[in-house]
Amino acid sequence: MSFLGFGRPQQSSAEKIAAVEAEMRLLTEMANRLTKTCQKKCVPNDYREAELNKGESVCLDRCAAKFFDVHMKISEQLQQESQNRGGGSGLGF
Amino acid sequence: MEGLTQAETRELEQRMQKRQVKEFFGLFSNLVDHCFMSCIDDFTSKSLTTRESGCVSRCVQKHMALSQRLSERFQEHNAQMQQQQQQQLQSQLR
Repeated sequence: MSFLGFGRPQQSSAEKIAAVEAEMRLLTEMANRLTKTCQKKCVPNDYREAELNKGESVCLDRCAAKFFDVHMKISEQLQQESQNRGGGSGLGF
Repeated sequence: MEGLTQAETRELEQRMQKRQVKEFFGLFSNLVDHCFMSCIDDFTSKSLTTRESGCVSRCVQKHMALSQRLSERFQEHNAQMQQQQQQQLQSQLR
């Protein structure tokens, strides 16, 4: 997800910092959404025990893998759609 | 974090710290809401019942555990993505 600096004019300090910050923010948001989503899908709300059991653990791993796949898939599809409608704006998610 | 000067790095670190504090408070609030919703349902008294108290405690522990696990998966995924990107770059440059 890093921005490639090929053939770009020198970025000002503020721009560089803003770029890194923006990337960090995206990653943090994604991590939070991942947690919220997979918690809902995999961990029931009764909290009879403090530890994750094997089933929950495995579910979380698989949930994460699928979450990333869905993220990629939709990203690609959106890019495809926007290209098809003429003028790929290349939103590089 | 390519080509940042020392001053820029410092500025970035400061901002990240601020952001992390905000982030922490956000997570904390969500946790309170979530564990409350999941555990508290006995309003025959003002004080937390033993069951409710235990539930909240387990809720927090479980949440931390799942948060950590998912965070590991996420980092693995990112590392993989970076590797793939680099490989792509290299094959393009050939």
